[in-house]
Amino acid sequence: MLLAQLLISGIQTGLLYALTAAGFALIFGATRIFHFAHGAAYALAGYGFVFAVRAGWSWPLAALLATVLAVGFGLFMDAFVYRPIQRHTGSFFTVFVAAFGVVIVVQSGIEIGFGRAFVAVTSPLTRASAVLPGLYLARAFWIALAAAGVLFGALGLFLARTRTGIALRALAENPDLLRAYGLSARRLSALAFALGSALAVPGAVLGAATTGLSPSVASHVMLVSLAASVVGGIGSLRGAAAGGLVLGIAENLVVSVLDTQWSEAAGFVVLFAFILFRPRGIFGAALAR
Amino acid sequence: MIERRMLLRAGLGAAAGGLALGRARAEAEPYVLGTLFPMAGPNAEYGTIFTEGAQLALTHLAADKLLSRQVVLKAEDSQGTPQGGAVGMSKLVNVDHALYVLIGFTGVSKAAAPIGTRAKVVMVNGGGVGPDLAGLSPYYWNVIPLASAEVSRIAPYLVAKGWKRVALIYMDDPFGNGLRKSMQTDLPKAGGEIAGLFAITPAEQQFSALAAKVRDAKPDVVYFASYGAQQAQIIKQLRDNGIDQQLVTYSGALIPSVRSLPQAEGLIFTVQTAPWSATDPVTRRFLADWQATHKELPSVYHQNYYNAVRLFGLLAHGLEQQGKPVDGDSLRAELLRVRRFALVGGEGTFDDLGDLSVPIDIETLKGGQPVKLD
Repeated sequence: MLLAQLLISGIQTGLLYALTAAGFALIFGATRIFHFAHGAAYALAGYGFVFAVRAGWSWPLAALLATVLAVGFGLFMDAFVYRPIQRHTGSFFTVFVAAFGVVIVVQSGIEIGFGRAFVAVTSPLTRASAVLPGLYLARAFWIALAAAGVLFGALGLFLARTRTGIALRALAENPDLLRAYGLSARRLSALAFALGSALAVPGAVLGAATTGLSPSVASHVMLVSLAASVVGGIGSLRGAAAGGLVLGIAENLVVSVLDTQWSEAAGFVVLFAFILFRPRGIFGAALAR
Repeated sequence: MIERRMLLRAGLGAAAGGLALGRARAEAEPYVLGTLFPMAGPNAEYGTIFTEGAQLALTHLAADKLLSRQVVLKAEDSQGTPQGGAVGMSKLVNVDHALYVLIGFTGVSKAAAPIGTRAKVVMVNGGGVGPDLAGLSPYYWNVIPLASAEVSRIAPYLVAKGWKRVALIYMDDPFGNGLRKSMQTDLPKAGGEIAGLFAITPAEQQFSALAAKVRDAKPDVVYFASYGAQQAQIIKQLRDNGIDQQLVTYSGALIPSVRSLPQAEGLIFTVQTAPWSATDPVTRRFLADWQATHKELPSVYHQNYYNAVRLFGLLAHGLEQQGKPVDGDSLRAELLRVRRFALVGGEGTFDDLGDLSVPIDIETLKGGQPVKLD
């Protein structure tokens, strides 16, 4: 039963990783911008949610505020950080350093606003109860499952079936051609940042309720998102989803055979294995050299 | 010839004037105290608390005009890591020329102590509790009871309560391993047994798998030894994942993020005896001024770092009265000469290692407030 319990925990953790990593993958896939500050969108959404719940707002309203904060942050980064850098033919390194700086600013802002302590939202939804002898499940598991299912389904449809979605996918390939078709690369880039940042919200909300948040959460989230994106295939949305799930399950299942401290390391062992043996990830396209 | 004499006289006069000016400048130079606390990251909460205690003591030192020179505080962020500790200590010693450093955290202390010892800089710990911190260096003093003393206190209590099988979750670092060794020694002695050992790392944030493993070990009680924000995450996630056994820990849990956590209600922990009912003037003044500003009781960490700074004031005052220089060696000699000091909590006595002996209570959290059990 321990194995089943660890698998359930792994799926729940993996779903949250998947949603967050998918946001990063969507932005990177469409704009080719290494949005290292994606973790900061998660942190802002999480803290916004906690702030609203503590202020007595209902959960849906609090989640709405979290979404506004995350999307606003994504749009801000696109318009005021990345675009000016790109105007001056900014290198990957410049973009990375700028994003890293923003993460530190956001972390410091959270520390000033909320203090440096751990924060969490207490809810009966996260309290697990025995469904079978030795197998515990919280309602948060079903919420994570439903949120991931609905969001990935909707996003998949949007990207595959709508003109804007197809244009978004084409943005990374040939922005000049998009312009020739009368589409604005700038608007599409903003849309990618808005959607990608919004995808961090379910993970942030559930994270605030299950694991809790600390001001430095952004770096951890970004590390996981990046690892999931590499495992799944850089730039691939379904790859990031699969990568997140694989990492979450690996982190939990490894505990059945190794000491608990190896949990997080297991995710990165998976990452190294992919880098060595399948560098294009689960769903990434092979690059011709 | 006359001109030469005049020149010589003028030269000597200028040299003497320069010397006097230099001495006056040296006398006017403040005493530099350093702090090496985690000021960012998941353990930053401790840095804030530790600094608050030290700052109140500095205010009192200045108000009392105890010393002939001003005392200034230079802060370095240890990040709660050995690397941060080594870098921060080097800067405090070599750049800021601190002669007395307030320090916390076991790993940080063990990394910083050799640097401080080489420079003969006194280091005073009021927050780290790793058992290895006793006698770390002649210049390293503790004003907090170490975890070995806390474990010795709690082990018989757990067994007496009928909680004989203890699941131990511990940080895989010098602090956690020291505490694990103490538990592995003291618990069997008291008649209990370790039901399972579960090592964790400082960066870990997901504990659902850990909860599954702990449940599988079927313990009577769960003892965890972590620090900072992670403690609250452990408590919340253990409870959320169906661990209903009594949770027990050490004094590190006395931080706001744990106290305010609903799931921490009923948490049992050991902590140095809080002296808030003491009637001595030092404790009364500390308490009154603290409450005037913060509108609540201080924590023992506030007390410890207040005491650490106050101890510097008393030692340096004694040295100044004797006309001796204030440096690492003289501070240590003065500590061992005097031994007993009026500190918050009453008169404190230091042993040969430079450690303050402090009694330990067993307490529980009720409505976020510590309540004495034993």
